[in-house]
Amino acid sequence: MKKVLKQKTSASTTETVFTDQVVITAVDDENSVFTRLSASLAEIRKLKGVLGYILRSNTSATLDFTEPEKITENAILSSRIHDSCQEITKQFNLGQTESVLVEGENVKVLCMSIGENNISVFMEKNATHSGIIKRILM
Amino acid sequence: MTENYSAALQTIINEFKNITPEITNTFIFNKNCEIVASTETTTENQNKKLINAFNDIADHAETIGEVETLTIQGAESQLSITSMNNRFLVNVSSHAADEKMVKMLTRVIVPTFVKLLDQIPELSGNELLQAKNPEVKPLEEIVPPIEQVTQTAPIPDMSASFNSEPILPEPPVNQFMVEKIGGLLVPSDVVRVDSEVIAKWHDIYGDKEITQVHIETLEGKAIMCGFKPIKEASNNGKGIIQFPEKVLQALQTSKGKLVIVKPVIPSQGEKSVETKNKRKHN
Repeated sequence: MKKVLKQKTSASTTETVFTDQVVITAVDDENSVFTRLSASLAEIRKLKGVLGYILRSNTSATLDFTEPEKITENAILSSRIHDSCQEITKQFNLGQTESVLVEGENVKVLCMSIGENNISVFMEKNATHSGIIKRILM
Repeated sequence: MTENYSAALQTIINEFKNITPEITNTFIFNKNCEIVASTETTTENQNKKLINAFNDIADHAETIGEVETLTIQGAESQLSITSMNNRFLVNVSSHAADEKMVKMLTRVIVPTFVKLLDQIPELSGNELLQAKNPEVKPLEEIVPPIEQVTQTAPIPDMSASFNSEPILPEPPVNQFMVEKIGGLLVPSDVVRVDSEVIAKWHDIYGDKEITQVHIETLEGKAIMCGFKPIKEASNNGKGIIQFPEKVLQALQTSKGKLVIVKPVIPSQGEKSVETKNKRKHN
């Protein structure tokens, strides 16, 4: 049976509690982007060859992997990719980062940043990442 | 690694700009973080920062296996890092660059070139390693004893080899992508080669009879086998070679992998000796 682990920080829970009371604010905008991305990634997760994903904003994080024991390693790698590629992009004047693809011997990782939300999708090497980029940007 | 080795790599990356002017920066570094060749369009500091950032990712990539490529798509340019035999090729190009051409250069041509360079011991410095390696087989193990040779091979008629034989050009080397063929009428030991390539071989060697090709995978597995032209006209000019299952197994390769193919050219001497031997048998 496939194990799925989902973690959310307490901050997102707090947001949920106040949703009925607070009118639309900047925080709610970010939250709605996070919610939309969350829904898109949940659909992407069902695609053949997708092994899991990480969606992280300043206040919340959602992780969903086929192999929960690899969550910590994957989260560290995802964070390193985002930070290191930001540095490379700055050094080489590549402009705003649209996507990063890291292909390992066994698995590839697609990383994107939408606003303050960092996304990492882990997939098998033969999975089509260009389709996933389109779905995230939709 | 010798200076000649670096010079060879420098030559090929210098050509990048001629092939695709949209390539703005290229350099190669090794596992010791030393820059082996560079187009010198960026500062050493920039390159060092990139190497450190890449190593930071590579050090934490155990969960996905050794990093083979990293591609950053920026709004203005794209950067790729390709691993090749313990060296890494960094390439920066604008969005106007032909993506296929850039991929071919960074993922096929340069890695193949590096692989070939590594096979030349004088350039890669491997001859020193070989000299130090205690496991190198003694000459007697490599060359069979003379008695054995005389028992198995007939003594050729030496007069035949003193003909004024013209010097033949080196066999051209082509790189193809593997496709699988099957079916009842497909011979298991014959590969199908692009008919345009076969025509070029005939142009080079004229009436020389070419019956076999030498095929080598990027992993170093090699075989010689018969060949025929690809039947379907639509599959010609696509850079593919069609293998039956048996050849795929022999080379331990699969569909989509790259192989290096060259024709096996029989020398004039060999041919006349063969003909004479046949006559003697008759």
